[in-house]
This record gives sequence, C-alpha cells and structure tokens, in this order.
Amino acid sequence: MSDALASLGRFLPELLLMGALAVVIVADLATQAWSLARSRNLLVGLTLAGLGAAFVASLGEPGGGSLFASMIADDGLLGVLRPLFALTAIFTLLFSLRAKELDGARMGEMVALLLTVTAALMWMAGSVNLVMIYLSLETVSVASYIMVGYRSSDRLSNEASLKYILFGAVSTGVMLFGLSLLYGLTGTLDLYGVRAALAAEDAGPALILVLLLVAGGIGFKIAAVPFHFWCPDVYTGASTPVTAFLSVGPKAAGFAVLIRFFYSGIAQPGADGTFAAVGGVDWQGLIIVLAVVTMTLGNVAALLQTNMKRLLAYSSIAHAGTILIGAAALSSEGIGAIVTYLVIYLFMNLGAFLVVILVHRVTGTFELEGYAGFWKRSPLLTVAMGIFLFSLMGIPPFAGFFAKLYVFAAAVEAELGWLAVVGVLNSAVAAFYYIKVLRIMAVDPGDGELPALRFSRLDGALLLALVTPNVVGILFGGALEQISEIAQRLLDLA
Amino acid sequence: MGEYLGILVATVFGVAFVAVTLAVSSLVRPVNPLPAKAMPYECGENPVGTPWGVQFNIRFYVFALVFLIFDVEAVMLLPWALAYLDLGPGALAAGLLFLGMLVLGLADVWVKGDLEWVRTEERRALKRRGASPAAAPTGGSA
Amino acid sequence: MIPLEHYLIVSAALFSVGVFGILTRRNAVNVLMCIELIFNSANINLVAFSRFIEGALGGQVFALLVIVVAACEAAVALAIVMSLYRITKQVNLDKAAELKG
Repeated sequence: MSDALASLGRFLPELLLMGALAVVIVADLATQAWSLARSRNLLVGLTLAGLGAAFVASLGEPGGGSLFASMIADDGLLGVLRPLFALTAIFTLLFSLRAKELDGARMGEMVALLLTVTAALMWMAGSVNLVMIYLSLETVSVASYIMVGYRSSDRLSNEASLKYILFGAVSTGVMLFGLSLLYGLTGTLDLYGVRAALAAEDAGPALILVLLLVAGGIGFKIAAVPFHFWCPDVYTGASTPVTAFLSVGPKAAGFAVLIRFFYSGIAQPGADGTFAAVGGVDWQGLIIVLAVVTMTLGNVAALLQTNMKRLLAYSSIAHAGTILIGAAALSSEGIGAIVTYLVIYLFMNLGAFLVVILVHRVTGTFELEGYAGFWKRSPLLTVAMGIFLFSLMGIPPFAGFFAKLYVFAAAVEAELGWLAVVGVLNSAVAAFYYIKVLRIMAVDPGDGELPALRFSRLDGALLLALVTPNVVGILFGGALEQISEIAQRLLDLA
Repeated sequence: MGEYLGILVATVFGVAFVAVTLAVSSLVRPVNPLPAKAMPYECGENPVGTPWGVQFNIRFYVFALVFLIFDVEAVMLLPWALAYLDLGPGALAAGLLFLGMLVLGLADVWVKGDLEWVRTEERRALKRRGASPAAAPTGGSA
Repeated sequence: MIPLEHYLIVSAALFSVGVFGILTRRNAVNVLMCIELIFNSANINLVAFSRFIEGALGGQVFALLVIVVAACEAAVALAIVMSLYRITKQVNLDKAAELKG
C-alpha cells in the first residue's frame, strides 16, 4: 500500500486527467438543459484546463524507477511521450471546435472520451506488465471506437466504427492469446521477469508463435501492413479531428508498447547501447519485413487516392513503416530516433489535418478536386499546407527531414544500410503524391471566382503553432538531441 | 476416472429429473388448449411472428447492455474483497473510489434517459409535437 | 488431476473455431460471438497456467480483468451494430461497404 501511495506522486498527469474526467461528466449532466453553445464552451474550457494541467505536470525531469509494484515504468520514454499525448489531445480539442462535421454536436461524451484516451495512452506508454499492456491498450481502443462512431446518425461514421471495432477486437484478442501463451512459457506477467526467464532457457518455436500473435496486436495499433485494413476506412468515416488524433496519439503509444515489449521483454541490453534478442528467436527479421512491406504498400496505395483523408491515411501507414526502421535497428539510438520522429510527426501530421479541416469548412468536401485553386483564395493556407507536406516528404530544411535522418542514421549504425536505402527510395515515391496535392492547390484553376478565405483568430493561432516547429526545427537540433537522449533512458530492472 | 464420475452422476440425475417431472405432469394435468393459452408469454404483450424468429424490441438491447456493464464491473470487487483484510485502510478508499466511478456512470445513464422506455429526448420531441408520451410506441415486440 | 495439455487443447480448439468463424461469418453479431470465443480461449490458458505454475496467481487476476474488458468491448460493439442497424436496417458485413477498401 505504501508503494501505491508513493507512486501516486509520480502519477500526477494521469490523476489530473482522471479528475478532469469526473468534473467533465458531472458538468455535462448538470448542463443538460443549457443551450448547446453554452454547455459546449463550459465543457471545452474545463477539458482544456485539465489537459493543460496534465501537460504542465508531465514536463520536467523523468524519474527512474517503476510505479505500482512495477506495473508502470517511470522512465525517460514515458517522460517524453506524456507531454506528447497531452499536446495531441489539446490540438484535437481545438480542432473539434472548427470541424464542420461536429457543428451542433453535443460535446459531453466527446471530451470525456478524449480525456479517457489521453490518460490511457499514458498508461500504455509506461506499461511494463502484460496485464497493464493489455488493459491500457483496450482502454485506448474501446474509447476510440466510440470516438470514431460519434456521429451516430451518420452512416459512414457508424460503418467506420463497426469496422474498427471488429478489426480491433480480433487483433487484441489474438494478441491476448499470445500473451497468455507467453505467461505459460515464462510463468510471470512482469516484462522483466519474462526476459529473465527467456534468458535462462530458450523457449523454442512456441516463442515464434507468441511473437507473431503479439505483433498482430501491436501492428493493429500502429497500422502496420498487413494489419492496416481498417486504417483508410476509419480515417475517412471518423470526423477529421478524431482522425487527426488517431493518426498521432495511439500510433505513438503503439510504438511505445513495441519498444517495451520487444526491447525490454524479449531482448537484453548489451554493451554500447545495442540490444540482443533472448529466448532463442531472432525477431529482428520480423520487424524488418514489417517495415519494408508497410512503407512500400503505404506509399504505392497513397499514389492512387483521390480523397484527401484516404491519402493521409495511407501516408500515415507509410510513416509507420519508416518509424519501424528505427525499431529494427535494435539500439538505444533507434529508440531515440523513433521518439524524435513521433514528436516531429505530431506537428507535421496534425498540421496537414488542420488544413483539411479548414478546407472542408469552406468547400464541404474531402475530395482532392475540392482543393483546386486554393492559391487564389488563400495563399496563406496553401503555403502552410506546402510546409506541412514538404515536412512529411522529408525535404530539408523542414523538421521532417531530421526525423527521417535520425531513423536512417540509426539503421546505418546497425549495419542495415540497405534498409535505409529502401527508406530513401520510398520517400522519393511519397514525394509524388504530396506534390500532387500541392499542384492541385497551387496550379489547378478553381471553378470560377470564389471569395477569399477569412480565418478566425483560433485558426491563425493553430496554424502558427503547427507551422513554427516544422520551419524552425533546424534551429533546435539541440532540443531534438535532448529528447532523443531522454527517451533512450529505458527502465531496466535486472 | 474417479474425478469424472461425479460429472456423470450429475448429468444423469439432471436429465432424469426433467424427464420424470415432465412425464408425471403430463399424466396428471388436464388438457384444455385455447388459442390465448397457446401463445408464448411475452411480458403481457401479444407476440408478433413465430416463436422461432422472435423479434425483440431494440430497446431491450439498451437495457441489456447497461445491465451487462454494471453487472460485470462488479466482478472487480471480488479479488478486492478477498484481499481486503490484508490491504489496510487504503483498500477501503480504493474500493469506494471504484464504486464512485460506477455511480457516476449510472448517474450519466439515468440523466441521459437511457433507463426509460421512452427516452427523454424523444419525449421532449413528442411534447413539442403536442402528443402525450403515452401515445409513443410501447410493447414487447416490434 | 486433469493434465495441462487437455486445457491447452480445448483453448486451442476454441481459438481456432473463433478465427474460423470470424473469417467465414458475414453477420456482425456472429463475428462478435466468435471474438468472444478468442477471448475465452485466452482465459482458459491463463487460468490453466496459473493453476499449474507454482505461486503464479497473476493469471487468474488477468482472466478476471479480461472478462470485464471483453464485456465492455462487446457492449460497445453491440451498441454500434444497433446504431448501424437503425440507419441501414441490416447487419450484413458485406453490405456495410460504402467505404471501399
């Protein structure tokens, strides 16, 4: 019990989110009779306060131990990802104020779900126990199923949600079966105990089965091929702020679970920051195959898309593949590269989705044709989109370039130079569809004379907040190095 | 083999009990079928369609789902109760916190009107149209 | 005592039936039932291992938590199926294909 009480102090961001959740639910119930706009303002204000407090509380030097009898690792990886989740949720909330799809919708359940998912993402990023991994993953999943189906009178939203929950339940079920077998193999639910048991005795072919089953669950969360089928449909059917959230938050948490499970559970840190597989199964090949297939299929499929949300869905699949290169490196440097990539990806991908939301607000469409002639209507928006897309492409001097640079450098360091080459070739393919979008926006003539766009102050502030990190990323090389260095401090219980 | 014997005895006894009861009652009871008596019982409502393809009103599912969640959540209290004496005073606070969350959920369902046959919103809509809630479709089967 | 292998065979069979059903069934509710089979096959594993490994009670607690989570997931899934049914009047997965992909 004293351990639990001591852990609560290091658990402040999550506690704040839970507190805000209770307040928001009560406030929602108390304001049922209020007008829509009034209750919406109150709820969004309360949620913002909760998320902001959690963000501030999550900054600062990460601890080094584990919480709640080694359920959650309180280490550098969690220390970097916590603020990332809070920031993603804050942006999502502000996006939802501007999304046409959510106009006139009651926000009570949406903000409650957002707070739940954000807290669960933090649990997910810290879990070092099989039970905790499963519970946090399911909490994130179940809450995001409801978020996807939030517009309950909209057919597409429902259909996307149904597909999401069927795929999700199957893959988490399969993963759970794998975890139960791993428990049988090692006799413990603690990841470090699992590693100790596997290091003492090879597990043989059963471990291969476990790895394949668990890779299904994690692959679903990060939308890696061949577990990606839900991704384009769900991204299209969900309202755009939810799509933006799903493409950043759960993906980052999925990578955190991947690092925890593969690097702490079934690998051992060696000298000079490398990791070596334990248990007699060399799983590096599995990750490499996933990375190559995911990148290639994502990029090629994105070339064929005519809908902006589907295009960004396949683009996010391709990015997951690129990040997997970092995971294949089997080194601390690789972990740092993954997390740096995720941080930069937050700004570039949320930026692209913000432009999608603003365009949808005036044109009412997500089809690519709807983007024609935007240069004339709003040069500012076109330039912003250009910056986000160039960053996603990985063109210097934008931040996305550094994200890719770190990942490829980690691969080369691990003597996987050919994998880095595959990554670079894929980036070249990706350039085609990103530039296609820009060409449509900047060169294609729109139909007739449309009025120039006007932005609200919130739009301007959001655009500025998202553009700046992408442009001046180069100035903060030191900060990126620091993020990478902190993230590499992975909890290691012997 | 000995451990399985109990299962066998229980199975045989169960089957025999039902068979004997039915046999005895068919000998003793008067036979007087009426159309109204032959109808499947459904909470006092007249059923529609055959008993093999019973269509429940979709509202039943809402109640079932709400019940299911609260019912299953109570399972969490089982290990808590078992270990309660070893855990000290903090356990009481933890258990109360958990129950508090459940109460919050119940309050949410209640206020949003999901515990009523005619949902609050729909009733408001009906009122606006000038109809009384009693005129809303009720009944066990659709 | 019933040996561990028997439990594992039952759970593997349940798992296989579940996966087979998911791949062949076209009714959303049937697919959900098959998903429950998968969860329960894992539960059998967890409880059986916990019984046979000295001092490993964690598996039983894990199984309890899985039951709770699976119920919540099923509730959400059924709610979504109902909501879709209200709009389209059917629960066939082949027909829920407005989103191509």
